Amino acid sequence: MRVFHNLNVNWMGMRKAFYILSLVLFLLGMLNIVFRGLVFGIDFKGGSEIVLQFEKPVDVAKIRNDLANIGLGAVEVRTFGAETGVLVRTELQEIPKEIYPKVVERIRENIDKIMPAVPYQIVDSTINSITVEFTNPDTTNTMIAELFAQGFQTGKVSEEPDNKQMLVRVGIADWIKEVLREKVKDNPFQVVKEDRVGPKIGEELKRDAVLAVLLSLVVILIYLGFRFKFIFAIGAVTALFHDVLITVGLYAVLYGLIPGLNLEIDLPVVAAFLTLVGYSINDTVIVFDRIRENMKIHKTMPLEELINKSINQTMSRTIITGFTTLLAVFVLFILGGDVLRAFSFTLLFGIIIGTYSSIFVASALVLDYAQRTKKKVQFS
Amino acid sequence: MKEYRFRIIIILAAIALSIYLLYPTFLDYQNSKHIQSVVEQKKQEILKQNPQISKSDLEELLTIVEDSIKQSDPSIVENRLKRLKLGLDLQGGMRVVLEVNTAKLLEKLANNPDQVFNSTLAEAKKEAETSEESVVEILARKLQQKGIRLSRYFGNIRQDDAEIIAQLKKDSEDAVTRAMEIIRNRVDQYGVSEPSIQRQGSRRIIVELPGIAKEEEAKQLLQGTALLEFRLVKDPDFTYQIMERIDKALAKVLAAGNDSLLAELSDTTKKADTTAAADTTQKQLTEEEFKQQHPFFSVALLDPQGRSADAFVKEDDRNKILRWLSLPEVKKEIPDNVEFVFSAKPVSTTQDGKKVYFMYLVNRQPELTGGVVTNAVATLDPNSSAPIVNMEMNSEGAVEWARITGANIGKRIAIMLDGKVFSAPVVRGKIPGGRSQIEGMENLDEAKLLEIVLKAGALPAPVDVIEERIVGPSLGEDSVQGGLNSALFGYLAVAIFMIIYYRQSGSIAAGVLILTILFILSVLAGFKATLTLPGIAGIVLTIGMAVDANVLIFERMREELATGKTLKASIDSGFSKAMSAIIDSNITTFFTGIILYQFGTGPVQGFALTLMIGIASTLFSALVISRLIFDYLASKGAKISIG
Repeated sequence: MRVFHNLNVNWMGMRKAFYILSLVLFLLGMLNIVFRGLVFGIDFKGGSEIVLQFEKPVDVAKIRNDLANIGLGAVEVRTFGAETGVLVRTELQEIPKEIYPKVVERIRENIDKIMPAVPYQIVDSTINSITVEFTNPDTTNTMIAELFAQGFQTGKVSEEPDNKQMLVRVGIADWIKEVLREKVKDNPFQVVKEDRVGPKIGEELKRDAVLAVLLSLVVILIYLGFRFKFIFAIGAVTALFHDVLITVGLYAVLYGLIPGLNLEIDLPVVAAFLTLVGYSINDTVIVFDRIRENMKIHKTMPLEELINKSINQTMSRTIITGFTTLLAVFVLFILGGDVLRAFSFTLLFGIIIGTYSSIFVASALVLDYAQRTKKKVQFS
Repeated sequence: MKEYRFRIIIILAAIALSIYLLYPTFLDYQNSKHIQSVVEQKKQEILKQNPQISKSDLEELLTIVEDSIKQSDPSIVENRLKRLKLGLDLQGGMRVVLEVNTAKLLEKLANNPDQVFNSTLAEAKKEAETSEESVVEILARKLQQKGIRLSRYFGNIRQDDAEIIAQLKKDSEDAVTRAMEIIRNRVDQYGVSEPSIQRQGSRRIIVELPGIAKEEEAKQLLQGTALLEFRLVKDPDFTYQIMERIDKALAKVLAAGNDSLLAELSDTTKKADTTAAADTTQKQLTEEEFKQQHPFFSVALLDPQGRSADAFVKEDDRNKILRWLSLPEVKKEIPDNVEFVFSAKPVSTTQDGKKVYFMYLVNRQPELTGGVVTNAVATLDPNSSAPIVNMEMNSEGAVEWARITGANIGKRIAIMLDGKVFSAPVVRGKIPGGRSQIEGMENLDEAKLLEIVLKAGALPAPVDVIEERIVGPSLGEDSVQGGLNSALFGYLAVAIFMIIYYRQSGSIAAGVLILTILFILSVLAGFKATLTLPGIAGIVLTIGMAVDANVLIFERMREELATGKTLKASIDSGFSKAMSAIIDSNITTFFTGIILYQFGTGPVQGFALTLMIGIASTLFSALVISRLIFDYLASKGAKISIG
């Protein structure tokens, strides 16, 4: 069985059309990024995300309702996996100022319920926790245990035996869990996943991710510069930029368009972009390798014809290597579960664009450069 | 055949090594299946006998069962250590990034802080939340901008700003080291298997606790401060009396037929049987009887000469004793104001390599706590050249310490950290001036550790959780299942395509692909790397990319065959002409793998590692193994179809 065998297509003749196609795709993506922006997951943006597993099937709409009025603003609620799983997510990392008094009030209520008329005072309140001081250490210990049993994150301020202060953590996730525990009393739940990322880590990661992608492009540029003529390296790396930018752009376009597919940019997705950089260069190298070989054999052939010939000769392997990788990645997309979905989608998408670009962008750019400078392009 | 010998040896060696590296993983899988079935069976038994048992009690009992299985066969633990590790996202667990709160530390260190200082510190803290600069640097800069010298708040008047900044930086550095030490102690104490505590950057600590079930407890664990206590050790006579009463009470409970206790005891008996297999039947019987009549003394062994009542307890018996002590019948035999505690370090090891700990009876109420310790220095005792830690106390503590030591000459005082006894020296005389020393460390490193811990106990630099990720075990299992399924079906899809498209050559590629996967897994296991969900994704991706090299070669062979070359010649030129493209494309992918590894944290690193290992194994499989098979078949004159 053979596909794309003995092709004789004038690819380079069509390059203007493909430049336009690339440009359109690129602009579409960029405009989308400019106007709609990229949606980052909590890895990069910071925020809180919890997945709850209820014992009985649960009505997501009801949970959404329950959480709508607790003052956390737009809280995203959707099912996760089976119908007993719920994903709750918010961009907030900290309890908002307006809600804070409510949370404190709730803690006060609980303290009063456990030990009515016990004297205490709130000695310190930071955005993540409040510190309550009681009059004697025993009360403090009892209170810590009791409140802990109620679902609050309590702890001693110090382990000294005369410690009278209790620390209560008031994170977003804690608040959500607490509210739900009260509202959905007949259906107990467990927390199966909880992610909380502070804004600082997110910022650092974002910077690192961009640096990593740029660095890998530079490394590839240098390597190919050594292996081929520099102009080929430039062509290849431009094609890679093209792949990454178009994939990111279309990623932004598709966000929210495909129901059930969560296309936020998180850590695995960045890994996918880097893999894409590494992978899409493969096809380009195969074509360049053949051009180099043909140049040695057909010394007098015009460059345009030579590039066409090389592309035609390598077309079947370009398609088949892309196809086998797509097969595996497609299986991953279908079976890999929620966590890997965006990752495998990026790769699916990127592999197609990468294969396209190695033919219509990388080689075409080399040709255009050669024609413009009227130089004879040579391989070392 | 001769010309292939070298290559065959290399390939067989690679395969043998892979199997050797993966064998523990296989055994571990079998073991955990076995343990699970035993535990499940036991659970049903317990539930049948005692349907009202509370969930936590049941869990505790089952843990004991599990532990005893593990301890009965050391190879289980050995295999577990050598197996291919699963990441937190695959087995469930908790990952916490802690940051030492430098602002609080500065607040503590400052002399006479005023309104200006507090507001400046608050500003600095706010800025540090999103900045790369440390709080120390920002605060210093802000104070300098306001024209205030740092010596107004820190150090002394003669020091210039740069000197003070350096000192403050060193202090916050130390605070991180100490915080790490506290956390490590606590995690060890909590008994998580394979925890990982790493330092990241200047003031972050990453804690990974695989397989944690109770996240709330773990969080509490991480954010406390070390507690140093000095408690009186009870006299041997008193202790012995209590122990005897416990022993009697236990025997009574046993006679009444407490099932869980019986079960625990039979565990001990079984173990004794195997160790004492060479003994006569006669002796075994009496041992059995002794166990029944004196259950407590059968695990808490006393010095036969009766010089002290510090009981020797084997490592695996500690939990058992704690459980016995919590039985209501036993509890009422122990006075309220005392409790049993264990030594922090093992005092000796038995012949079969089990660690033995001391168990002391001490006052519940500490005489003095670590709040009074102002400094600690690890050093060698000039007289005995044994490692010691010298402590200094503040004036208040010194007065107390003098009183306590003066009133308890000849008695022993246990120096306890986080509820464990580090040493229990006899007080030889009144100690004035608040100086005292701790001994009993094995070497200077250990003393240094204690020094850090002691300082940490006295100087709590609060740690903030800045990132927290928890994955429940059930979600982890789902991920493993999803990952394995995608690897299997990914493989099938690629293999079937290759066979259809390239016929026999394709089946060779599909067969060799299995070896590629074997190599990847074994290298991961050999490197003691952790397999994560993105790591599995990396394997699936490798499956897709691994055949790329084969495709390049096969397409080339087709071309060569089309020019009329023989099969053998086509194989030769197919492989050699595809070589440069294969090498170039794989090296560039490998580079991005390296960069990904450098940039990535946790799971992404796992992915990068798998990808890189995948590339290496792919090249080996395609260029060496496939090549050999082709060469061999061609030399035999077999016709290999290539579609």
